[in-house]
Amino acid sequence: MIKEFFSSFLRYFVNINTAVLITLAVYLTFTGKQTDSSILWEILFSGLITALPSAALVCLDIKSGKVQFLLWLLHFLLIFGIALLMLHLFGLCAITMKSVFITFLAVVFIYLFTSYLHYLMDKSHVALMNEKLRKRYFK
Amino acid sequence: MKIIIESPQPDEEDVVIVRCKSPDQRLIAMLCTFHKVKSELTGYLNGTIVPLNYQDIYYFEAIDSRVFAYSHSDVYEIKHKLYELEELLAPLDFERCSKSMIVNLEKIEYLAPQFSGKLEAHLKNGENIIISRHYAHNLKIKLGV
Repeated sequence: MIKEFFSSFLRYFVNINTAVLITLAVYLTFTGKQTDSSILWEILFSGLITALPSAALVCLDIKSGKVQFLLWLLHFLLIFGIALLMLHLFGLCAITMKSVFITFLAVVFIYLFTSYLHYLMDKSHVALMNEKLRKRYFK
Repeated sequence: MKIIIESPQPDEEDVVIVRCKSPDQRLIAMLCTFHKVKSELTGYLNGTIVPLNYQDIYYFEAIDSRVFAYSHSDVYEIKHKLYELEELLAPLDFERCSKSMIVNLEKIEYLAPQFSGKLEAHLKNGENIIISRHYAHNLKIKLGV
């Protein structure tokens, strides 16, 4: 369980940071803004904070689809809340309707990006597993 | 040591012959394991006792502290705990796939990933079961991935 948690935590940490860097690169390109190098540490810190609940969630073995959906929804809201809090704490933007909406879109993108990366990795593992199953049982 | 598996004639029964100078510890342990693993299990269906062959079972599931074995068309109650079955079936091709299920790997048609990180096992009888993340990792190891 602990091993699985740390392995998931590392994967989420790397994937979330990659997605946030892409989002930041797109944002800076389109707005033409300059930023301080300290933002890189702030991204790493935010990645660390958001990877923790993500790794904890995937370690739970929940059978009910409804409970699972509710947990993922709660997880999304938690990540969204953390993102807003971090933006406010680091003084990156004021909490306005526009900034909340843009943050929401950014979190949705990061969420989909990390989920899709995990899915792609699982897909490649599953292809190998199916191959092994075929070799073992389909003669 | 060589392992040779030969098909018997249609009228002959299965037989294991060990040809060696003297049996070493590894060989004795192997033969002891072979004896310990039963090929049959007792199932209960509508008040009748039915001998079940492991090869016919698709998966075992624990529901409200009762354990059931699912064959192609029937569901039998088993008087074993799931963890006991897990130990009993360890040498065979059965693998725990969630807290409440053990699946027969031979009955898996194919696996498919899910967005939640779990795997979906499509069984040869058309049923789908979920393999949780934790047990998916163990399954990867068992299959040598």
